[in-house]
Amino acid sequence: MRCSLQAVALWGKKAPLHSITAIMITDDQQTIVTGSQEGQLCLWNLSPELKISAKELLFGHSASVTCLAKARDFSKQPYVVSAAENGEMCVWNVTNGQRVEKATLPYRHTAICYYHCSFRMTGEGWLLCCGEYQDVLIIDAKSLAVIHTFISSQSPDWINCLCIVHSMRIQEDSLLVVSVAGELKVWDLSSSINSIQEKQDVYEKESKFLDSLNCRAIRFCTYTERLLLVVFSKCWKVYDYCDFSLLRTEVSRSGQCFAGGEVLAAHRIIIWTEDGHSFIYQLLNSGLSKSIYPADGRVLKETIYPHLLCSTSVQENKGLSFVMGYMNERKEPFYKILFSGEVSGRITLWHIPDVPVSKFDGSPREIPITATWTLQDNFDKHHTMSIIDHVPGAGTVVVTSSEYVSSLDKLICGCEDGTILITQALNAAKAGLLEGGSLLKDSLPHKVLKGHHQSVTSLLYPHGLSSKLDQSWLLSGDQDSCVILWNIFTEEVLHKFFLEAGPVTSLLMSPENFRLRSDQVICCVCSDHSVALLHLEGKRCLLHARKHLFPVRMIKWHPVENFLIVGCADDSAYIWEIETGTLERHETGERARIILNCCDDSQLLKPEFALPVTSETHKHKSVEQRPSSSCQFGPIPCPGLQVESSWKVADVKPFSGPFNVLPVKTRWSDIGFHILLFDLENLVELLLPTPVCDVDPSNSFYGSEILRRAKSTVEKKTLTLKRNKTASGSLSAEAQAKPVSENSAQGENTAKSLGDNEGIKRQKKIKNSKKMHPKPSRKVDANITIDTAKLFLSCFLPWGVDKEFDNLCIKHLDILKLQGSVSLGLASNEDHFSLMLPGWDLCNAEMKKDYSKVNLFSKKVLDLSNKYTSTLPNQVGMPRGLENNCDSSQESNTLNTIVYLLNRLFAVNKLVNTPLELACGIDRSFKMESVHNKARIPGNEISNISSFYGYLRNGKSESHIPEADISLLKLISCWRDQSVQVTEAIQAVLLAEVQQHMKTLSKRAGNSQPVSMIEDVHCEMRQILQETEWTREEVELHCTTDTLPLQTPVTPVKHDSDSNSAKFQDTEDMPDRCVLEESESPGKPRHHSWIAKVCSCKLC
Amino acid sequence: MSQHRLQTEGPPWALQPQEEEFRWLLHDEVHAVLRQLQDILKEASLRFTLPCSGTGTEGPAKQENFILGSCSTDQVKGVLTLQGDALSQADVNLKIPRNNQLLHFAFREDKQWKLQQIQDARNHVSQAIYLLANRDESYQFRTGAEVLKLMDAVMLQLTRARNRLTTPATLTLPEIAASGLTRMFAPALPSDLLVNVYINLNKLCLTVYQLHALQPNSTKNFRPAGGAVLHSPGAMFEWGSQRLEVSHVHKVECVIPWLNDALVFFTVSLQLCQQLKDKISVFSSYWSYRPF
Repeated sequence: MRCSLQAVALWGKKAPLHSITAIMITDDQQTIVTGSQEGQLCLWNLSPELKISAKELLFGHSASVTCLAKARDFSKQPYVVSAAENGEMCVWNVTNGQRVEKATLPYRHTAICYYHCSFRMTGEGWLLCCGEYQDVLIIDAKSLAVIHTFISSQSPDWINCLCIVHSMRIQEDSLLVVSVAGELKVWDLSSSINSIQEKQDVYEKESKFLDSLNCRAIRFCTYTERLLLVVFSKCWKVYDYCDFSLLRTEVSRSGQCFAGGEVLAAHRIIIWTEDGHSFIYQLLNSGLSKSIYPADGRVLKETIYPHLLCSTSVQENKGLSFVMGYMNERKEPFYKILFSGEVSGRITLWHIPDVPVSKFDGSPREIPITATWTLQDNFDKHHTMSIIDHVPGAGTVVVTSSEYVSSLDKLICGCEDGTILITQALNAAKAGLLEGGSLLKDSLPHKVLKGHHQSVTSLLYPHGLSSKLDQSWLLSGDQDSCVILWNIFTEEVLHKFFLEAGPVTSLLMSPENFRLRSDQVICCVCSDHSVALLHLEGKRCLLHARKHLFPVRMIKWHPVENFLIVGCADDSAYIWEIETGTLERHETGERARIILNCCDDSQLLKPEFALPVTSETHKHKSVEQRPSSSCQFGPIPCPGLQVESSWKVADVKPFSGPFNVLPVKTRWSDIGFHILLFDLENLVELLLPTPVCDVDPSNSFYGSEILRRAKSTVEKKTLTLKRNKTASGSLSAEAQAKPVSENSAQGENTAKSLGDNEGIKRQKKIKNSKKMHPKPSRKVDANITIDTAKLFLSCFLPWGVDKEFDNLCIKHLDILKLQGSVSLGLASNEDHFSLMLPGWDLCNAEMKKDYSKVNLFSKKVLDLSNKYTSTLPNQVGMPRGLENNCDSSQESNTLNTIVYLLNRLFAVNKLVNTPLELACGIDRSFKMESVHNKARIPGNEISNISSFYGYLRNGKSESHIPEADISLLKLISCWRDQSVQVTEAIQAVLLAEVQQHMKTLSKRAGNSQPVSMIEDVHCEMRQILQETEWTREEVELHCTTDTLPLQTPVTPVKHDSDSNSAKFQDTEDMPDRCVLEESESPGKPRHHSWIAKVCSCKLC
Repeated sequence: MSQHRLQTEGPPWALQPQEEEFRWLLHDEVHAVLRQLQDILKEASLRFTLPCSGTGTEGPAKQENFILGSCSTDQVKGVLTLQGDALSQADVNLKIPRNNQLLHFAFREDKQWKLQQIQDARNHVSQAIYLLANRDESYQFRTGAEVLKLMDAVMLQLTRARNRLTTPATLTLPEIAASGLTRMFAPALPSDLLVNVYINLNKLCLTVYQLHALQPNSTKNFRPAGGAVLHSPGAMFEWGSQRLEVSHVHKVECVIPWLNDALVFFTVSLQLCQQLKDKISVFSSYWSYRPF
């Protein structure tokens, strides 16, 4: 598992769109969860005084969210499940915003109900789901795998809504559903648990035709255990639960559509409409009525008529669609809340009184709105800035497209007014975020390209995708379908292409291996669905394919016959001959599908899925669909399920440096924002080597050996750097020129570790990235690296804990203070990340009063930090790097400190991120229990081992830490077990370490010890390498079947493993321990990985 | 079906007229298109004998008989009776040339077989109609994005409806064997026969697989076949403890005229939707919309 990336969001002035499609309040009434049409979830803090404030935005779905439901007993685990239009399901931890589980099934759910029966069920319970498929699916709440279905024997159909009835009287839980055709069905729930677990068919117990369509809600009155409320879009009805006889029908007046309802109390109900109104009725019993069924001789039925007590309404926004819900809590600190979410993104709450009463004259009383809030309110309340706010002249322009060129650290922004701003991303971010950064503002270097007359809609920096192309070229397309080729260094226009085809939607580049007369071409998709091929060298338009009726989804290239294959949103395929520019064929249906699937490797990036995150989920899905469709009840995976991606999120993948700027754009809008991404691992790697070589030129034998080897490795073949290179690379001076492909190599390792499914997915991704970055071995500027590190520290340090301390930090670390809290975020390697929203730090009630503290992630950080500090002094005789560096210049001191800090943080990040099971395995002195047994079948061992290695490799920073630090490690592992968030841990450790450092600095001012910290580190490394050396011999003894000599490139990996064990074992018996482990683990798969490793070394 | 394209190029318009045009588009034209769409889809849903909403008086759906045959062979003949989305009766005649035996089976009287594809397609259409019905003339669209979102939702339903008909389930042979369809017949199907019924585009298709058991000591490489719409002779699978191989495949089909209509309606309405989206997109600069 690779560590997650730390992110900082620069939101800009406008909040991203969040059209609410689903809303719920958690059982503790502290969090509101909303799902949006754009595909995100938003967590909103709900204070005890019923004040709302948006907290966090969660990215994980690639299509509109259809429903939300709780996924566990909330008091035990605060988990919520969300389902999306395209069949994705995610389980989230709503207290920390982390995604717990994800699955993609070929089912679109419209409602989910959590069911758990503690005394009959093992596991975490079931999610009962209904939607665009027959009957009710039972999905395991933990694994999100389909367990079984509730089948109907009578007229099976789609189910519109469902509810679970816990009846105390009959001691049986029942599942009530209403189908699309209006058929009410009842299944026994608790008594059929066993049959379900044994996969027997369970049929409905009763069914009744309700004679209305579009059922929106069905609710059981738990107070009387008699009444059943069924809300249809045009009427609502009350039934007697005993015999399902109709007691009352109330038809909607004035064209209102009902959207749902709930039982408030005995004989009191609330009904709400699609346009945001709600009505509270008292159901009055008319007694026995003789007039209703006079003739049919049946038992006389009582009837019920409703009396309107209260109503709620929203002032404006008539006609917008609302999603509403009601939360009934009888316990004291909780409220009865009616809540609604609008398409506009507004949340409104009404506090419903315990006993709603009408006015004295009997007319209905209007219940006032208690609270209302939107994302934009958060943005208005807390000052937010966009990344280019401080670029001189940028002022108020709206950025309509942007691109980050990491090799130049340039951020290119296309603006609404047609200008293109080019600025240094790091400096721009600093200017915006940091206090002293305003000094930078005037000197912020920037360029303005003027050439477009309308807003710039897309940008492409070709050199970033293929190093063969000129480094100075930049392409930009505008609203007026003009594409300009620029020289970004001289700022001149090289050529203008006029396409006359509407706004340019995307600019893509042909894949590396598919070229036209030895040149790569640019593919330009316009909003009239036409595709133009532009030849940059020749400055001409090769082809303009204009016949497409539907948006272009896919562009492929037939290399041999020189065809351009365009797939459209209606599943049709157009084949264009590039030479002549004629339409060769147009196919629809099955044939089109075959054509589009034929040449898979020759694919240009698809515009819709152009951005890797989404394309990845797309692929992932198709992988997962296969098994599920072969399930007996699995309907056919509808191609229709594959919906457009909703957010364009360029992924972390073309990520070569330690720092990246990620432009993010919402669907259906122009509002975009930027995310700064920090790769701690890369940062540490880049920072570490330089000092080693500077400080200690007289290298130890082993060190220089590795260095030499590594150097030659790099020289010979930069492309195939393998995982072991990481360690040696950290020693080598060459590491600065680390090619991107290393990243992908690492990715490959992780892919193995993540089981088959993800493996496939990841590998596809790698393929992709290789395509995109074939030869990118570019240097990362050392200054940029240091600046990045400083910015990172600035962003993550909790400021304002102690004024003096702040000043010390500014002075000694040479970093600047934050202007205000930044929106921290976490990007995991998978297609998911979470971002804090402006004002997140004021959500926590306890932090509200304390405005002096800036950027403190949570109160917990301080406690954790204290704990950490208290563990620190235990290690007395330990030569702590920080305490010794007073000899050389201030600057190198600072640098050393920064390196040390980052190293620590990286280690913490790694530790906290390690999956629990895996870490447990390590803790128990390397007992390799196949924790993934159930999930993975064949590649089990391999995956286990290599993931293990992954851990070891990445945990390498620990290797510098002698056994005295065990207590710290234990502490941090402990945090992980207590599910402390990564960001929390990082902040805590950073705070503690910096405090410690500052203390010693002020104490020992003037007192100097000539050992520098880096040297110290190096000593440790050397020591480790020595150990490594003899471990290696041991290993050789045991791996006699491996005839290949194990050479030094392998050793770093080994050194990791044993140094890691050192954390928990005595250093003395450590190699034994390791070997023991080696021999314990099953031979074959291990050899596999060995061979793979050694072979790769042979290659280079 | 008008295939006109919008002129998006040309000189930049003066601000005022374009804004006015956009307002007209949003207030008048959108509703006109939506009404047209609704009419088409209502027409389509009628084909599926959708029970009319509101009236609630749903008589038994009318029965239609389809005689399934194929031009190449007359070994299999089937008469299927479709009642809405369910097969209410089926008569299958199978001539086995080997022994000149004529097999005949029919559905049990009390049983119906739901054609899930038709049901799903019908439900998707009614979802689309429901989406449109909520946006009648009284509703005022304020932004283009609103229209686009509505169109996206409608198109999603329509695409799914169409895809349900155009892409039959790819089933494995054990899945076909386990399906309830094989248990529908009286007399019961012989163990060496499998039957599958599905919709492909506008056609109702019936496939009959003749099987023979593979000898346990057979030299043939046993490789179970994956999922397919139509398995070819030679496909193998394991059922119970037996290994079976498909010896003959008979496929007969018959066009269902109203399915053909429905498919045409889907295509037309999808194009209408897309055209409306395109029209809205032309004015994107007015409400800061960036397509995709």
